[in-house]
Amino acid sequence: MNLKQLKTELSPTLKEVKFTLKRVRKSPLSILGMAIITFYVIIAVFAPVLAPPVDPNAPYAIFHDGYGPTPRPPGSEVLDSWIRNMGWTVHYFGTAEGQLDIYYGCIWGTRTAFRIGLMVVVISLIIGLLMGCLSGYYGGIIDEILMRFTDIILAFPGLILAMALVIALPRVWRLEIGFPLAIIGIFIIIMLIGHFLKLRSAISASLGILSVAIFAVLYYGVLGSPPIYTMGIELTDLDKVLVALALVGWPGYTRVIRGEILRVRQEDYVEAAKAAGCSDVRIILRHILPNAMYSVVIMASLDIGSIVLTAAALSFLGIGAPLGYADWGQMISFARGWIWSGQENPWQFWYTFIIPGLFIFTFVLGWNLLGDAFRDILDPTLRRR
Amino acid sequence: MGLLEYTIRRILLIIPTLLGVILLIFAVSQLFTPEQRATLYITSERQMRDIDSIINQYHLRESVFTQLIGWLQQLLQGNLGYSRTGGGPVLQVLLRKLPATFELVIWSIPLTVFIGIYLGTKSAVHRDTSIDHITRMISIIGWSLPSFWLGIMLIAIFFQGLGWFPPERMSQPTFNYITLSGNWHWYTGLLVIDGLLNGTPWITIDALRHIILPTITLTTINIALIVRIMRSGMLEALGKGYIVMAKAKGLSNKEVINKHARRNALIPVMTVAGLLTAGLLTGVTITETVFNIDGVGRWAAVAAGGGGTVPDVPAVLGFALFAGIVYVVANLVVDIMYAYIDPRIRLG
Repeated sequence: MNLKQLKTELSPTLKEVKFTLKRVRKSPLSILGMAIITFYVIIAVFAPVLAPPVDPNAPYAIFHDGYGPTPRPPGSEVLDSWIRNMGWTVHYFGTAEGQLDIYYGCIWGTRTAFRIGLMVVVISLIIGLLMGCLSGYYGGIIDEILMRFTDIILAFPGLILAMALVIALPRVWRLEIGFPLAIIGIFIIIMLIGHFLKLRSAISASLGILSVAIFAVLYYGVLGSPPIYTMGIELTDLDKVLVALALVGWPGYTRVIRGEILRVRQEDYVEAAKAAGCSDVRIILRHILPNAMYSVVIMASLDIGSIVLTAAALSFLGIGAPLGYADWGQMISFARGWIWSGQENPWQFWYTFIIPGLFIFTFVLGWNLLGDAFRDILDPTLRRR
Repeated sequence: MGLLEYTIRRILLIIPTLLGVILLIFAVSQLFTPEQRATLYITSERQMRDIDSIINQYHLRESVFTQLIGWLQQLLQGNLGYSRTGGGPVLQVLLRKLPATFELVIWSIPLTVFIGIYLGTKSAVHRDTSIDHITRMISIIGWSLPSFWLGIMLIAIFFQGLGWFPPERMSQPTFNYITLSGNWHWYTGLLVIDGLLNGTPWITIDALRHIILPTITLTTINIALIVRIMRSGMLEALGKGYIVMAKAKGLSNKEVINKHARRNALIPVMTVAGLLTAGLLTGVTITETVFNIDGVGRWAAVAAGGGGTVPDVPAVLGFALFAGIVYVVANLVVDIMYAYIDPRIRLG
């Protein structure tokens, strides 16, 4: 393929991208959002420079300057001589209850926020893509089962289901991965047999599901669920939050991807690929997914803001990162005691809740500003007005 | 398809969903240890002491199917376990704490909906002008504010700073009057209304002062949802042929917007009413915790994290089940109302 051919082939895509960028530039709110996110990316990347860890082995643990209960205002001097020797002379944002340094917590909390947001989006997107492809492309009984399953998870308010999952996940999660592996194996074998016998893919898929169901009943009912291959995964408190949020988040993406695939599946080029004898996997990977996932990936990445907000809410409720971990939500929960203590002057300890709160708020605001602009730009009914 | 037929069909369709919701809660319960799971079967503090006999009685170490049947039997009898943090059986605690939550939600819904619709319309009519930008900015800010932070700030300003609106559900004199005087009767469970019905307007005023800050918090975080849907609905409606037609026949701008565009844009707002329910259920969990209101939300939050090192499993699962059922039923009501308002749904 020569360059000219490539250019003509890509030109509609390029035109759309250019148009999108033009609309983004025209919207001041989305530029503000972009600036905020860039600012936080810089903070996260340069965290070790902005706030050199006192204990290099545990950079996410906020350092203590003693254990005194009363917060100290911004600009207070560092008393601990050992921490002074590490180059810390002042508490820039003051200290919280237990003399935890607020500045340090805020800077490293940015990394925690990105980690939670990105990990949850990536995990739920991967599950969502897989399930959405299966459901949208094969349709029939697979679609029915998967969609009812997403219905059930979507029947819960996210935070509440996540709350139950976080406390339910054990510290060491013994995963019977032998059983799901056996199920997937049986399914693939039946599909392969169907492929060689030249059965229609819907029929072999139904047969696959049937045999998996028979296997499951045998395994649980008759054999009494003996372990096949158990893998222990150690989960830190933060991992639990990640896993819980991802388990709650994937059904939404599954539905969007399924819808996109149903739309794309009808296009002429997919029919052409089928007529040319392409395999199902090839059609999904090369022809359907690239056209279906563009908007889903953008939408999902813009969810980072709301994911971080939910995680912060969990931390605030005391189900999340362990005590003293650099996490914005938890830092605000420290302040609750001071607000409630009936202080003469409630603003005496303003820095304990205003500063971490501003960090969460502007971080989420950045993503939401961008998301709001993109929703209009990507909405086909509003796009060209 | 008639409306009645549609309604019946839709009601029948939630049965598998509700069953699924129950099964999912059961699946989550399987992640706990048998000892923790045993608390789902007991009904009093006394039984806590012989957990082992409970484990044997309900076959908690045996296969999943045996456990499922046992648990479903429990559920049918209305037994969701004993809540340590609530100090009673889960269902009783839930019902006892519900009025406080309901009172909070009942004031927030109309505010969210009406202000949301108003702002959304304004924003769409003045698209890409400063009014649009400001309205969107306000709703995005509300959407991005951590609800617990907003609550803390409101307490710091309006209670600690100005002393106007105290937190908690009621003040000490009200509490004393209700519990000790013997003259108090709960008619509706809503303090504001019952205060008037009991002939004690000072209780109503007291209740209103307590309810204002939590209501503002709940409204602020949920309003963006309505504004966003209303705005895009209005934009779509304003581009339709019948709007051009209405303008062409000489109707005033106000009439076109209020009578033609807005009515059609309201239909999509109906669909997010279900999402609003989810937002409210999540919202009360946080809001009640911050404002120390003794409702179901704070109970669940305390059960999950605040009540010591060991989570109160029955309370959390019971609350999740409750939230799931409320959400499913809310979506059912929304769907039926939607079909009632928009004939295209039931005929299409």
